[in-house]
Amino acid sequence: MADRSSHFSAPDQTGHEYESLSRIGSGAYGTVYKAKDKRTNRVVALKKVCVALTEDGIPMNTLREIGLLKQLNAHEHPNIVRLLDICYGHRTGKELIMYLVFEHVEQDLGSYIERNPRGFNTIQIKNLSREILNGVDFLHSNRIVHRDLKPQNLLVTFDGHIKLADFGLAKTYDFDMKLTSVVVTLWYRAPEVLLGLPYATPVDVWSIGCIIVELYNLTPLFCGTSEGDQLTTIFRELGRPSETDWPKDNISIKWESFRSIDSTGYMHNFSGNICETAKDLIMRMLTFDPIKRISAMEALNHTYFTEEPINT
Amino acid sequence: MPGWYYDKKELKNTPSAQDGIDYQTEMRYRKEGARFIIDTGIKMDLGYSTSATGVVYFHRFYMFHSFKQFPRYVTACCCLFLAGKVEETPKKCKDIIKTARGLLTDQKFNTFGDDPKEEVMTLERILLQTIKFDLQVEHPYAYLLKYAKCLKGDKVKLNKMVQMAWTFVNDSLCTTLALQWEPEIIAVALMYLAGKLSQFDVIDWTGRTAKHLRWWEMFVEDVTMDLLEDICHQVLDLYSQTPSQSNESPPQNQPRLNPPPSSSVARPSNGQNNPVSPDQPPPMHSSIPPPSDVPTYIYGTFTGAPPPVPGFPGFSAPPMSAPPVPPHMAAPPPGPPPNIAAPPPVFPFVNHPPPFAPPGVPPGANYYQPPNPPHRQFYPPP
Ligand SMILES: Nc1ncnc2c1ncn2[C@@H]1O[C@H](COP(=O)(O)OP(=O)(O)OP(=O)(O)O)[C@@H](O)[C@H]1O
Ligand SMILES: [Mg+2]
Repeated sequence: MADRSSHFSAPDQTGHEYESLSRIGSGAYGTVYKAKDKRTNRVVALKKVCVALTEDGIPMNTLREIGLLKQLNAHEHPNIVRLLDICYGHRTGKELIMYLVFEHVEQDLGSYIERNPRGFNTIQIKNLSREILNGVDFLHSNRIVHRDLKPQNLLVTFDGHIKLADFGLAKTYDFDMKLTSVVVTLWYRAPEVLLGLPYATPVDVWSIGCIIVELYNLTPLFCGTSEGDQLTTIFRELGRPSETDWPKDNISIKWESFRSIDSTGYMHNFSGNICETAKDLIMRMLTFDPIKRISAMEALNHTYFTEEPINT
Repeated sequence: MPGWYYDKKELKNTPSAQDGIDYQTEMRYRKEGARFIIDTGIKMDLGYSTSATGVVYFHRFYMFHSFKQFPRYVTACCCLFLAGKVEETPKKCKDIIKTARGLLTDQKFNTFGDDPKEEVMTLERILLQTIKFDLQVEHPYAYLLKYAKCLKGDKVKLNKMVQMAWTFVNDSLCTTLALQWEPEIIAVALMYLAGKLSQFDVIDWTGRTAKHLRWWEMFVEDVTMDLLEDICHQVLDLYSQTPSQSNESPPQNQPRLNPPPSSSVARPSNGQNNPVSPDQPPPMHSSIPPPSDVPTYIYGTFTGAPPPVPGFPGFSAPPMSAPPVPPHMAAPPPGPPPNIAAPPPVFPFVNHPPPFAPPGVPPGANYYQPPNPPHRQFYPPP
């Protein structure tokens, strides 16, 4: 429906009606529209979600995820994008279209970086980093792992504040879009994910580490072309992990297969005017072993954030 | 959740009221719907929190719709169906309907129409939208257990008080209290009532400070005695109307093991205009036998008799096979996510919630806490 024309409305029972203005983004699994709440004229972002109905109605995992989104939303965390409403679109046989109505945020961090070719000053970087960590720490304290932190999923308000988007929902909804050519980026993936190991909250800290470096460098840190290449790229930069750090259980990839890579990377040659405390924090976030990796909460208490600001 | 509390004026001006249903009748419909959810839940071996969640959905639903437009037993089934999925204790829609059919008269079951399952399934989407997808609901039970842990005094008496309060919480679901007050406040009020009726005076408690006159001031702020009494009376009012007064009540499927509380804790016949204050409990309370010869369940309850005590293996086994890990936690996290029921830990005293022992492992960091409470019964310890 929405794909055929960009003008549609999703009337719901609470009396809101939305008129689509344009398509903002379509990721690998969903489409986000910019729309107007016809009653209040407020501009919103509609995320179209396609739910496969089962014999017993709306599946449990969908209910779980939406319940969670609503519950988190009630906390009104400053660094989490606000969910305003949920409404139904058409129901076609075994599918139910739902629209998650979010507050509309100016842009995502990806385009924010693109639009600032001259880069950010250290204060800006510190503030952005702190806000990202704040939002992620909030998710973690609610037992949620984002799993897909990247600049495109971090929204930046008109006045430069961070709001996390695109968490909590399974990436399996929009079946018809699954086979499109959109490539899911690997660049922010933690090594344990690439190695096919069980993972938890530390994967998000890894991603933030990559994003903070990107704020300094204005270009992604680890640009692998495949899962294997991504690991190789990471190890070249950071140095190959020691054999003792290499996971012992449930791992099919052998430590030996990276033998040719040096154990000291060239990551310490940070480009730009990055200070020592920032470097220290970043290296703690990019620690190979997820157990040893700094947590979001610990990161917020790192000297980088607590020290007196110095003018540079 | 904010936004789900109403004042008394709003409760009298509901869509049903605007549809010509008088207040007493609406309260009766709500009570019957709630009881029916609880009875169906017990029949289907659903935990108390699933039933309680279903009841709260039910009350919220009728703040937006009229009983004339949506027949209450269909809505009740739908609420239990949805609550089952949300609380990770899913039941098939057709099984819920089958159970409902057994509990309802033919006349009442006729409201389900020609295709009862389709009726309930269609309602699911309306229900979800009406309750604004606020699916996670907190209940007083967990607070009751939490507060009880802090109270000092005779363990047997305290235990008895907690059982009684637990029963009151069950019964409070048949009132609109969940639409008026937070679960913390309801827990405090009904513990206060139970304390009065079981003659358990709380004199000391863990964490007491000089500025606390009452134990509950540690947990809730600005709760006046008037408020507590109002809450208590709303529950006690239930007992002053015996089910037989209303021929519309659902059939009594659970045999009552004991006389209904209307004969033990209800206010005397001086009626609604001159309610007995919880400060002066009805004289009947003094007939409560001392703990040593307490029968299994001395307070016949409005919601029916306690279910049969589950056998040891049955109850200690996980209630359901472990639900699939939600996709955003695609790997085994250090602990279960909050809305996934973990298998209840095996208690040495399996047949009831242990009010005084921390259930399972004490919470560690501020995430990965085990869900609370882990027991799944509707009834407190005997
Ligand atoms: N609230 C919002 N306001 C403005 N733009 C938004 C909002 N939410 C999302 N977007 C934009 O839409 C894009 C896609 O959104 P989102 O990440 O939620 O969908 P997605 O389909 O899951 O994408 P992917 O799986 O590729 O991350 C985002 O990268 C962002 O640019
Ligand atoms: Mg995205």
